[in-house]
Amino acid sequence: MVTSNKRRRTVALYTVATIGALISIFPYLYMVMQSLAPWNEVDRRVFPTTFTLRSYQFLLTGGEAGLARPWFRAFFNSFLVTGVDTLCMLLVGAMVGYALARLPFRGAKVVRNFLMFQMFYPSIILLIPTFLIIKTLGLNNTYMGMILPKAVNLWAIFMFSSFFASIDRELVEAARVDGASEWTVMSRIIMPMSTTIVTVVGLVLFLERWSELLWDLLVVKDPSHMTLNVLLATMKGPYGNYPGPMYAASVLLTLPILILFIIFSKRFLSGFQFIFR
Amino acid sequence: MRKYYEIRGWLLTAPYLIFTLIFFLIPLVWAIWLSTMDWNLISPRRMFVGFGNFVTAVQSSKVMASFINSFKFMLIFVPLSIIVAVAIALLINSLTVGANLYTVAFFLPYLASGVVTSLVTKGLIAINSPVNRLVVRILHFQPPWLSDPGWATFVIVALIAWKFSGYYALIFLAGLRGIPKEMYEAAALDGAGPWTQFRRITVPMLYPAFFTVVVLAVGLMFGIFTEPYMLTGGGPNLATHTWQLEIYYQAFSSFKAGYASAISILNAVATFAGVAVVRWIMRYWGRAYGYEQ
Repeated sequence: MVTSNKRRRTVALYTVATIGALISIFPYLYMVMQSLAPWNEVDRRVFPTTFTLRSYQFLLTGGEAGLARPWFRAFFNSFLVTGVDTLCMLLVGAMVGYALARLPFRGAKVVRNFLMFQMFYPSIILLIPTFLIIKTLGLNNTYMGMILPKAVNLWAIFMFSSFFASIDRELVEAARVDGASEWTVMSRIIMPMSTTIVTVVGLVLFLERWSELLWDLLVVKDPSHMTLNVLLATMKGPYGNYPGPMYAASVLLTLPILILFIIFSKRFLSGFQFIFR
Repeated sequence: MRKYYEIRGWLLTAPYLIFTLIFFLIPLVWAIWLSTMDWNLISPRRMFVGFGNFVTAVQSSKVMASFINSFKFMLIFVPLSIIVAVAIALLINSLTVGANLYTVAFFLPYLASGVVTSLVTKGLIAINSPVNRLVVRILHFQPPWLSDPGWATFVIVALIAWKFSGYYALIFLAGLRGIPKEMYEAAALDGAGPWTQFRRITVPMLYPAFFTVVVLAVGLMFGIFTEPYMLTGGGPNLATHTWQLEIYYQAFSSFKAGYASAISILNAVATFAGVAVVRWIMRYWGRAYGYEQ
């Protein structure tokens, strides 16, 4: 009796979990299916009767309507902007975080407090003046205009600073006593310990930068410099009557993030549990 | 050694300091200065209007709608996303096989760009879409998805809740995994049922996670842009109008840079105040569980 009750409970749990998981992934599934559907079936049925690549072909060539848009270019632009920014954010985050946590220089406390103040400051105030600064520097419509204002991330600094602070001081001191140089301490002790934090912070930063809309929308008006996200958002008009290609473009935008996340999912999830412990 | 720390410390912090000067301090002062100006972003003609922009903003129905909507969204989004997230976390925590797989599945929505989810939503609620037809068959009427203020609000909030629930669930899951099993065993020995255990052990032990999630969720509600921009443009009847939408339209469609700056300052004040009030409420609640901060 007890075991059958337990089994019933397990079955119920997995049923609910599976339904929930399906709701979570349904829009992705739907998006992929519609991107592969014949055009007269788009948004008509979840699973199309046959598969076709017409939407992708239309997207990349512009089709008979002559609406060629620089999708490959946009794909490259997204990778360039997101990649450079993520690297910068990680690098600066690690540098500043290390300095704040491990180098007791005069003024470190002031910097740390200011950082906290800044983190809680709603960045929307800065939107218009930052745009004006970029314009004054002649950087609108350039990659630099998208990259520079997002090259430093406060949250990354904060995360790295608390990570470096959590490293056992005695371990580092012991290594120093044994004659290890600052570089050896860095490369042999601290860097191997930091793979988890770099994965978690790096993935979150990459994801956020990749999905940014408002800023990139403001800075870039020239289609050849648009990121995928902006190109897709501004497609509303001309492509409005072509839902199939819209889904294909959505797949193009989502796929890299999905692949990246699934590759690192194990380390990401365990790291996440560690951070929010 | 001291000197070594000084030089290294400032050298490593330098990129952040330079960045903060150019992209935080200067814009901050500039925004305050701009907010007292009547200026169209382009022409050299600027006019000092003092607090004029703020007076106009406070009386504007659009700014008022943004202000009220952030609380309206909050009232629906915070309970909705938290209940779903806690449910997901409890569910995953009680799975024995394949917990990781389900965790990944529930987290996937967080990866979607707002642009993509908005486009998919538009497809799902189209008249002939399979999902819309299913809903019509169940409800026996055609829901006015984006043409009715209530439904449009629901669509936008549900979309954001779908995106963030799995993420919040991960935070709760980390909290759940930190609760010692012995506490439940001891409670069960004392005759506490599942509901009492949940109320007396799980909820208080999860308090830090609740604090994090509520503050994140409330902050989020003051910064919505992509979903209404893509789906409703703020309508119908300003029901889904948001601060960021209003700032964007005023600054970059109507070219009222000064006025938009004033609104952005009001938005920042509202966000600050909103988050502060919520933190205060959460602290008050935490004290009931013996958390002192």
